Amino acid sequence: MLTDRQWFLCATLLYGLGMMYSVFLWRKGFRKDDRIHYFLLLAGFALNTTAMFMRGFSFNRCPVNNLFEATMFVDWSAVGVYLILGLWQKFRFVGAFASPIFLFLGIFALMPGLDHQDPEGQLTKNWAVSLHAVLILFSYSAFGLCAVASGMYLIQERHLKTHNILAILSKIPSIERLESIASRLVLAGVILLSVGLSFAPFLGQPDRPLAWYQDAKVIWSMVIWATYVGVVSSRYLWRFGGRPMAWALIACFVFLILTFSGTNLMSEMHQ
Amino acid sequence: MSLIVVGLSHHTCPVSVREKFAFGQEEIAPSLAKMQQSGLADECVLLSTCNRVEVYVASPFSGSEAFERIHHFLQQDRGCEEEALLPSLYSHVDSDCIEHLFKVASGLDSLVLGETEILGQLKDAYQCAVGAESTGKALNKLFQKAFHVAKHIRSNTGIQRGSTSVGSVAVELAERIFDGLEGKRVMVIGAGDTSEKTARSLLSRGASELLVTNRSMERARALADELDGRAVAFEDWQEEFYHLDIVISSTSAPTYVLNRLKVQQLIQHRPATPLLLIDIAVPRDIDPEINELENVYVYNIDHLQSIAQDYLEQRQSELTKCETYIRSKAQEWLEAWKTPPKRGEGTDSYFQAGPSGAS
Repeated sequence: MLTDRQWFLCATLLYGLGMMYSVFLWRKGFRKDDRIHYFLLLAGFALNTTAMFMRGFSFNRCPVNNLFEATMFVDWSAVGVYLILGLWQKFRFVGAFASPIFLFLGIFALMPGLDHQDPEGQLTKNWAVSLHAVLILFSYSAFGLCAVASGMYLIQERHLKTHNILAILSKIPSIERLESIASRLVLAGVILLSVGLSFAPFLGQPDRPLAWYQDAKVIWSMVIWATYVGVVSSRYLWRFGGRPMAWALIACFVFLILTFSGTNLMSEMHQ
Repeated sequence: MSLIVVGLSHHTCPVSVREKFAFGQEEIAPSLAKMQQSGLADECVLLSTCNRVEVYVASPFSGSEAFERIHHFLQQDRGCEEEALLPSLYSHVDSDCIEHLFKVASGLDSLVLGETEILGQLKDAYQCAVGAESTGKALNKLFQKAFHVAKHIRSNTGIQRGSTSVGSVAVELAERIFDGLEGKRVMVIGAGDTSEKTARSLLSRGASELLVTNRSMERARALADELDGRAVAFEDWQEEFYHLDIVISSTSAPTYVLNRLKVQQLIQHRPATPLLLIDIAVPRDIDPEINELENVYVYNIDHLQSIAQDYLEQRQSELTKCETYIRSKAQEWLEAWKTPPKRGEGTDSYFQAGPSGAS
């Protein structure tokens, strides 16, 4: 019988196949149908779910206790959101752009040293802590997909600006639709992040030597929250949109993904 | 019995010759009857469109003899001199005739490669012949097979993919910018023919409101009435800019109607939604530098034609695939037609069926 990590490895391999297939789609100018790609990611999602269930049931807690589990959870929720979106043909092509991120998250989660076993799972046996972690990780998934939609926007916008026939031939959705997807996802992400962070003051860890504002992860989370809130509000207040908005959303997510593990390791409260 | 097609088309003669030989709808049935009565054809179908006049015949005569007789018939029926007709005529016999019909049905022999209108015209011609009782076992089966082959080619190759007219390319572009055209507002500046067709295409895909402006208010009103839109005085059109999503410009102004500075000012107070500017005027009405503005997309006539041309080239690349398929199906059909029926199957077993719906 495979272990939860091995199931997740298989899921990551399928995400890898999905990414390879998306390279073929890219080579064809994103003009081919992507049903095969959808089913590859669906199969990966099934294995990812199996890994999450095995981990959850074996420790009897929500599997968001360490970096491996948290990243596996982000990967799972991002693929899940994509699969729901992909039920509509017009959104299905998002997967061709998202699969590199799914693969990257899978490889990152499987890196050695991130899976500190804590069978007791004291931290996440408290339901409020679980909810805090789950909501925040869901928001990261939303930000990830939002960055993917923004990347697609930039490609399609470039095709249109340069009068390239691929603007018509490719299966990338219209720029208005992509902008709308990105706006909704970033709004959903900000709401989830805000709700997730709002649990933090009530989690109570009196034995910790540092105050919350001295913790690297807390400061980082506040910066992430403020940045995304800034992007969302500028959209509604100052008509911030189009290409600058797409670049901003990609930059925010790249910053998030590159600093996520570092701040986790530096954090006293989140160990 | 031989199968033969005799005709002329845009490949062999100009419109000034084609128009002399064109058959009006009401002339076709009597001509088919005459052809049968003259004994030159057991079965016949006459196709007459703006680009071709062709007679498909199942004749008791050999190829060359049948050609001579059909040539003579056309000459007399259309009242033309021999010299005018002969250089423009072509003929194909048996397998070449079948291949030619399959190509015509699939749009491979059309002026715009892969166009679909010809299939409808061919179906009409066949139905007319069925109505005139000028078809029989051979042509019924042959035409049904031609419709089947055309359907297969349409579904399984890229020969009919994409738009080849400026209007439909503009619609495709708009659909790549906007999330559907429902509720979009279109303005036509200058009431030209191409801008009218483009506006029509956009309206047919759901654009909700059309505004027309022109230096002559009378022309603007006439076009607006025709397209169920609203005419706007040429001095006032900039006031409507705030609500516009698509602008089609085709004036005969010698300088830009829209320059970068003007558009920058006009879009300042617009919502942050895309704006598509289609410039089909020569000289151009819209400064190409406007394309550099955020959320504004400028396409001129060259851009649209180049996309249409790309589509045509893609269709061209599918041609060999289509021709191979047609050749094999034509051969298959001919073999079935020439094969004598097996003992006990009765006569002409493959060709027993009568005409069926051409659709």
